[in-house]
Amino acid sequence: MAVVTITSQPGCPGIELAARLAGRIGFSLVDKTTFAQLSGEIDLDEARLRKVDEAILKGDLHIDPETEACVRLLQDLIAQLAEERDLVIIDRSAQGLFRNRPGTLHVRLVAPRKFRVRQVRTREGLSGREAGRLVGALEKEHARYLRFLYRLNPADPDLYDLTLRMDRLSIDQALTLMATAVDGMDLLQVPRDRIVKDLLPQVPEKRDTGRFANTAETEFARFLRFYRIPFEYESRTFNLETDANGRIVEAFTPDFYLPEQDLYIELTTMKQSLVTRKNRKVRKLRRLYPEVNIRIFYQRDFHNLMAKYGLLGSPEKSHPGFGRDEEVKSKRK
Amino acid sequence: MNRYGNVNARPDGIVEILITQEAIERRIAEMGKEIASAYRDCLPLLVGVLKGCVVFMSDLVKRIDIPLEMDFISVMSYAGVQSPGGAARITKDLDTVIEGRDVLLVEGIVDTGMTAGYILRNLQARAPRSLRVCTLLDKEVRRIVSIPISFRGFKVPDRFVVGYGLDYRQLYRNLPCIGILSDEIIGLDRS
Repeated sequence: MAVVTITSQPGCPGIELAARLAGRIGFSLVDKTTFAQLSGEIDLDEARLRKVDEAILKGDLHIDPETEACVRLLQDLIAQLAEERDLVIIDRSAQGLFRNRPGTLHVRLVAPRKFRVRQVRTREGLSGREAGRLVGALEKEHARYLRFLYRLNPADPDLYDLTLRMDRLSIDQALTLMATAVDGMDLLQVPRDRIVKDLLPQVPEKRDTGRFANTAETEFARFLRFYRIPFEYESRTFNLETDANGRIVEAFTPDFYLPEQDLYIELTTMKQSLVTRKNRKVRKLRRLYPEVNIRIFYQRDFHNLMAKYGLLGSPEKSHPGFGRDEEVKSKRK
Repeated sequence: MNRYGNVNARPDGIVEILITQEAIERRIAEMGKEIASAYRDCLPLLVGVLKGCVVFMSDLVKRIDIPLEMDFISVMSYAGVQSPGGAARITKDLDTVIEGRDVLLVEGIVDTGMTAGYILRNLQARAPRSLRVCTLLDKEVRRIVSIPISFRGFKVPDRFVVGYGLDYRQLYRNLPCIGILSDEIIGLDRS
């Protein structure tokens, strides 16, 4: 489906514009409320979500794998939502998540700092100094989130199709320009199957020496290489569901394929309670493809593997596999 | 006994005795007979995988009442890998030429099968007449690399087991039974 991402510098009217654009073009709005709903779907309550946010925003270099898995799962959920509905997404690093996705318009709202501080000062009833501090803090937070998830800089102009200076445009003018861009890019006419098919590699792509989605995958690949076990990374996408027109609406790409074992392995570093969605997909895959041998490697299995080599339980022996993700890429299953 | 306490009492860090010393002894006696029967007409070479096999293999060979030879092999542990691209290598090779021989690989435990698989590929390349696997413990539930096991002592659940040659950071090998190590010690959180 079509997606519009709106990245707003603090002090620009991103939330209002996103809501109005969604209403005008008939897309679903993904904002804080939607995000809270998605979080609820994976048993992340508000306090926990805040903890996850804080861990990233404070630039914690030793973020635990579970926290990282939660953050990435939320991104996955938004990506999945985009396969089901047309979306307007405000912030949440969506420009990184959908960076090269076809059928997507990336908008950035900017304005000189002085202007934005003035806006915040008026809106929040703060002093000039307080408003300045708030704007600065929010800018840092946004940058850290995007950097953590996708190693991208929000100021990179290559991330956006359209940049609007909000000190020169009224909200109505900005809205019109965005709606025109949506129309000009034929987003409203993009057929659903084109987007979905573009997301799914039709030709198996071997990336066994490339980057992995998270540290667990990187570590697992190291294990396999260490024991010289041939593997392919995300080499096959299984179609799980098609609509009445035969179009793919749900698919699943296991992380590893071991040709010598004829075994697919799906890794997850999430706690058992958070893997419901993944389990469901694997069950579906097994039902539809009974000949396929697939195994989920849970956080527990991964920790067992590390424990076997004495790489757990002692800070001085802590392994890079449990540190902060060094290789980040967006991942859509 | 040492600080581990009595044979079937729980030593430090062990939350459960999974297999008692008596049960191990009984099963090893049976395995000895099975192996002796299988290799009755040849001179098998038992290749132990260091260090986990040591206690098991020393008890096992005493229960095999046919002539046999012994050798040992050791592979660098993944824990010792320094570089991201590091690969397993044999740190102690066989002293015996195994071409044309009947080789029985003896493991303390087969878990993911990665180590056993690596060694089997290596030994297979040396053209033995036969190559089979014997293990005291088989943690089949965690298998990634398929290993054909001809002689198996016990199937064990997906818990961290130590003792009878199996270690955690080189400790617990001298435990005379098989115990389950506490999650706290190995740093696992099962919540």
